[in-house]
Amino acid sequence: MSDIILDVQHLNKSFGSKHVLKDVSFSVERGHIVGLVGPNGAGKSTIMKAVLGLFNYASGQITIDGDAVSPTSHQAMDKVGALIEYPGIYPFLTGMQHLKLFSKETTSQDQIDEIVDRMKMTTYIDRKAKTYSLGMKQKLGIALALVNRPKFVILDEPMNGLDPQANKDLRTIILDLAKQGTTFLISSHILSELEKLIDDLVVIDKGQIVYKESMATLESGGKRLLVVKTSDDDKATTILTQNGYQLDQTAGVSIIETDDTKMADVIKLLSDNGIDIEDVQHVHSDLETSLLELLKNDKVKES
Amino acid sequence: MITLVKQETYKLLHKKSTPAVSIALLIIMTVFGVLSKLYPKYWSAKGMFTTMYTGGSWVVLFLIAACSSIIAMEFQYGTIKELLYRKYYRGEILVSKWITMLIYSIYFYALVFVYSLILKVVLYNGKFNLTDTYANNQSIIETQFMNLIGQFLSVWLVLSLVLLLANIFKSTAAAISIGIIGYFALSVVSGLMFVLMQKWDWLKWNPLNMMNLPAQLTSDTYHKMTLLSTPEMICGSLAYTAIFMAISYVVFKRRSV
Ligand SMILES: Nc1ncnc2c1ncn2[C@@H]1O[C@H](COP(=O)(O)OP(=O)(O)OP(=O)(O)O)[C@@H](O)[C@H]1O
Ligand SMILES: [Mg+2]
Repeated sequence: MSDIILDVQHLNKSFGSKHVLKDVSFSVERGHIVGLVGPNGAGKSTIMKAVLGLFNYASGQITIDGDAVSPTSHQAMDKVGALIEYPGIYPFLTGMQHLKLFSKETTSQDQIDEIVDRMKMTTYIDRKAKTYSLGMKQKLGIALALVNRPKFVILDEPMNGLDPQANKDLRTIILDLAKQGTTFLISSHILSELEKLIDDLVVIDKGQIVYKESMATLESGGKRLLVVKTSDDDKATTILTQNGYQLDQTAGVSIIETDDTKMADVIKLLSDNGIDIEDVQHVHSDLETSLLELLKNDKVKES
Repeated sequence: MITLVKQETYKLLHKKSTPAVSIALLIIMTVFGVLSKLYPKYWSAKGMFTTMYTGGSWVVLFLIAACSSIIAMEFQYGTIKELLYRKYYRGEILVSKWITMLIYSIYFYALVFVYSLILKVVLYNGKFNLTDTYANNQSIIETQFMNLIGQFLSVWLVLSLVLLLANIFKSTAAAISIGIIGYFALSVVSGLMFVLMQKWDWLKWNPLNMMNLPAQLTSDTYHKMTLLSTPEMICGSLAYTAIFMAISYVVFKRRSV
């Protein structure tokens, strides 16, 4: 068995004359949680649908666990669970009936009950789905994606409409399953949530992959700042610059940290010069900052 | 495939409208049975029985609604993605829906047939025998059975069209209205159609003419109007049904969701 569970090579897809996916190639390692992010209309849902064999594509190859996937080749889908865009729900069935309807013969009632319990849906699972709120439907959609214990799970904006507690529960479930070997491909605009989950990041913009790296690489590439709040910011800025510290222009007194920046040295330098320090903070650039930077650069490149 | 048919049946049975429709059908048939008993001037007892106490016409309506909704609801509720991304082939998903509808239509006609026998026994016991000659040298029960077979074939011609339209428009409204108009248009336009057919012989192969099958099966003169022999008509009906189903299949397989 290879370490790659999903492999997408040179995928091209057009809707009419609109070229929506342009030579998209990426792969997903077994057991990893991969984030797929990009602006609205970038093509995230389209990639996911192609991976699920929901439509024909002009050219390219998609394989899941070594089996080719296309609308006419669906064997690999036995290992896949998915929630795309919004959950499809029959208003006249209860949540439990949905889970029974879509569960495989090999899925036991205990397994169904377990996912209901973990998603905290027990109080309303026997109610008709037409009475569900947005978040309740979303949870049911996630439960449907997970109920058959698939090896590979695709979630398109799963945090949509979930309250903070449900978000946290979902995170715990995903991390648990990943630890047991389940692979996830997750798209989301809630980067602060996504950041807590993912091992790897794939960024897509206007149908092209613009970035694919592990989170570790992304984090080490970002700027780290030491932000100090003082009684006299102007004076502090002058003194720090004179002493060879690189300052970031964005906000207040922000020292760009290098490997030999020591907080103690900074504090000593400033207090020796009669400046009082009110607050010191380490600031890591988060996924949002990195991503916005990335997409900004890309636009510059294109024009 | 059996799993898929089971899933479709599960959905059908859990709709509130499913049991409601069956009960409504029995009530309507009972009402017409009682009316024909009370006012024999307006309705002949034997005629009522051979047309299954109007049950046949209602079944058409209910089946048109069921066929359009079994396809269109998946698009309407967004469940089509869940259905299609699984290990099954697309064709299998569609065929499982057709089989479910076939079973449903057989159920309906069996229900109507059995219940009309019950109504006959309860309301008209001893009034007439099922083996009495009705018309066209056929006994009453034969006439009723021929009606049933003819209706079944011509209804499936309409249903195949409804299934196709639901597939193309992804909406129940369009499929239902065209299906109902199509089925009941016959009585409105058949006069004109027969005239035109005298002029242009090939017109006899048009699908609306095929829908005269129940009338032809229970009459020995009708073929002079339809210009087709009964076997020709049966084959014609089946051929049109097959064509509409085939187009449906192609449309469904090529659809992007
Ligand atoms: N059925 C369709 N017909 C025509 N164009 C489509 C269709 N589906 C998607 N598109 C186009 O494909 C592009 C990518 O859409 P997609 O839904 O994949 O975006 P996305 O990255 O998921 O965006 P979002 O963050 O808003 O969900 C868009 O420009 C959209 O207009
Ligand atoms: Mg999307």
